[in-house]
Amino acid sequence: MNYKIKKLITNWRVILLAVFIALSLIAIHPSFEKGVAIRSVVANSSASIAGIPQPKPNIMPVYREKIILINNRPIDDTEGYYKYISTLGPNRTIKITTTNQVYTLTTREKFEIIQLNETKKVSLGVEDLGLRVYDAPRTNIRKGLDLQGGTRVLLQPEEKLDPNGIGFLIDNMKERLNVYGLSDIVIRDAGDLSGNQYIVVEVAGATEEEIKDLLARQGKFEAKVGNKTLFRGGQDILYVGRSANEAGIDPSGGCGQSGSQSFCRFRFPITISQEAAQRQADATKDLEIVYDTASKRSDYLSEKLVLYLDDNKVDELNIGADLKGQATTQISISGSGVGANQQQAILDSLQNMKRLQTILITGSLPVKLNIVKTDAISPVLGEEFVNNAILMSMLAILSVAIVIGLRYWKLLIAIPILITMLSEVIILLGVAAFIGWNIDLAAIAGILVAIGTGVDDQIVITDETLKGETSNIYNWKEKVKRAFLIIMLAYFTVVVAMIPLIFAGAGLLKGFAITTIIGVTIGVFITRPAYSSFVEIMLK
Amino acid sequence: MEEQKNGIKRILYGLFNIYEKRYRPLLIITFLMLFLALSQIGYQLYKTGDFINRDVSLKGGVTVTVPLDNQIDAAKVKRSISSDFPKNDVSVRTLRSTGAIAGIIVEADINGQDKAEVQKLLDSIGKSLGTDLTKVHYGIEIIGSSLGRSFFRESLIALFAAFLFMGIVVFIYFRTFVPSIAIVLSAFSDMVIALAVINLMGVRVGTAGIAAFLMLIGYSVDTDILLTVRMLKRKEGTVMDRVISSIKTGMTETTTAIVAVTVAMLVTQSEVIRQIMLILLIGLIADIFNTWIQNVGLLRIYVERKAKKGIII
Repeated sequence: MNYKIKKLITNWRVILLAVFIALSLIAIHPSFEKGVAIRSVVANSSASIAGIPQPKPNIMPVYREKIILINNRPIDDTEGYYKYISTLGPNRTIKITTTNQVYTLTTREKFEIIQLNETKKVSLGVEDLGLRVYDAPRTNIRKGLDLQGGTRVLLQPEEKLDPNGIGFLIDNMKERLNVYGLSDIVIRDAGDLSGNQYIVVEVAGATEEEIKDLLARQGKFEAKVGNKTLFRGGQDILYVGRSANEAGIDPSGGCGQSGSQSFCRFRFPITISQEAAQRQADATKDLEIVYDTASKRSDYLSEKLVLYLDDNKVDELNIGADLKGQATTQISISGSGVGANQQQAILDSLQNMKRLQTILITGSLPVKLNIVKTDAISPVLGEEFVNNAILMSMLAILSVAIVIGLRYWKLLIAIPILITMLSEVIILLGVAAFIGWNIDLAAIAGILVAIGTGVDDQIVITDETLKGETSNIYNWKEKVKRAFLIIMLAYFTVVVAMIPLIFAGAGLLKGFAITTIIGVTIGVFITRPAYSSFVEIMLK
Repeated sequence: MEEQKNGIKRILYGLFNIYEKRYRPLLIITFLMLFLALSQIGYQLYKTGDFINRDVSLKGGVTVTVPLDNQIDAAKVKRSISSDFPKNDVSVRTLRSTGAIAGIIVEADINGQDKAEVQKLLDSIGKSLGTDLTKVHYGIEIIGSSLGRSFFRESLIALFAAFLFMGIVVFIYFRTFVPSIAIVLSAFSDMVIALAVINLMGVRVGTAGIAAFLMLIGYSVDTDILLTVRMLKRKEGTVMDRVISSIKTGMTETTTAIVAVTVAMLVTQSEVIRQIMLILLIGLIADIFNTWIQNVGLLRIYVERKAKKGIII
């Protein structure tokens, strides 16, 4: 027996399975920390002023910044957070301790200004801190909208766009929704076999009305110097250079080193209207040229060009000294990015550049969008679905193990099949966590198919290898080969049957199709070989 | 006691004898099933203009899900809402979790783009349930009718393509026409029978149902491929021995699937998953006949014809 176990744990197929399970657990990253995770930070709110950063959209759920203490009081869950926040009065300084650092915030008073015969300022209590939070995620598995609550809107552009156009539209929408502190959003394109184009917007923890309102609103872009508006999006900016030969890392400025950090400069040209150029000249002619002590140069004017999106400040740019009082229509916009090494600095610069370009073009969306489908799922239903789905999957897996146990009357077959099923679930969820795939109800259905056909294959392996009649005719290797022949053929038919679904119907069943394909692939290449090795070593 | 046992044995032996020798007449059973299923679908098409009972996700409309913890009478709620929307198709289902009512799902094929209409539906639901909907975390799904229609059309194309691709893969492997067609026909019969039964039960099929019909392909081909490989590519034993060994393996596969699907159907709270499981359950039961009578019969006829030409399989 000892010899068999030793042989089993040194078998490369079994080791491969163990490695995949371990990697999946790392990707899933179960966590038992308490606290509330920051979903988003509202622009210009107390929280944003205190320097709490907007979470990056693609961050793994467990690595999100979490609030642990407020004024040294532990915050365990969302309820605790809102309960404590509601006790705060205006103009108080509070200390928020997160997993990353400690922030000091000042609560602000909220006023309503009423103008009758005289202007009256009425206090409405404390202004919201500007943090949207939710219970700290326990794993890196992203729950789909139907499992966590939120809103999904399917939009159809009124006219057909080329792939570039769609990409640009999506960037544009992301930028706008970000301004409202909605970072936990998914915007992606979807198509169907008839060539229709759709854009899917999913926002976790937001209501349908909020989203519809945001999407319907016309983006308003303004660039100001002081309180003078120089140009507005849509009418004043005629052209924003985005092609490779005019936009990118500045060939003359390039990259450099500053202390332990690398930095790079980018530049791209824009063309503004004659009137905007004149306004620019008028606004800058009286500004002073500032002497920068750090670089010992006089490159910039004393005021900055501030960019506003729907009246929210989104960025600011230095104005080059050579532009002072000049009515130029061709302006080069430049900026920089930093990183630990040059590679990262280049990446950061290009990202900043893209963002700026998107903001500058955002006047109005390039095309009108029609809402063709909306789903709003209440978080209460979502939570119940998750627990219920886990219970259902576990009971289904258990019942399969019982049937197998009754059929073969051998624990050495039933238990490994049970383990195989569970490891398939773990690896599938691990892959989903790793690639950032959302697990929704359709994906759960896909997981169930994958496991179901997996069990079929396990049964084929067991019967092909342990069957009495053939034991004398073929050697073990031959029998495994014969089993895998059946398995591979069944595998290919399932995969090809799922492929059309990836492209059909606005991607509504894409999650199901892809999960099924990934699931059966994991089964055929990782868990099935391990199971056949197990049968060979333990039962031969 | 002993006599009884012998009697059962004799009956089983008789049945096996019929299964072994009379596989041609037995084929009539499955083709009759397929014919009846197709007739049902034809009748449905003639009567309703549609061969499937589509829910709002496939034809456009509004779905509202309200979580509840008290007992309600779905039929009464439906009557109440229908009286407010006499021209529309309204359906009310209860959402169950391990037997107890967990909520209610109301579907209506109203124009979701019309805000007033949607509000009217919400008011009507609130009135019939006697609750204030603004205080409940209800979920709402609105599907434009053009999207519903185009999604339905797309799904049919996807299904057709799935069959085509599957047929190609099977044909590339077996390189013979009859066995490949038999596998595809078996999967097709499973699907058609499942659809006919679903129609008879009056279930409204949504996007999840389409996924379920596709899942059926996977389960169906598993047993058919097993059977075909063992019958055509194996040499040990007689043809009948190979059929029996395939049944042993294949029925284990189907039994595990049926048990798992039934458990999931009883436990789940999600209407989406329940529909998937129901379609799979019916399809899997149909698959027992379509694989072990229809596919076996067709393959045996094929093997016999080959034998007559002097090719022994």
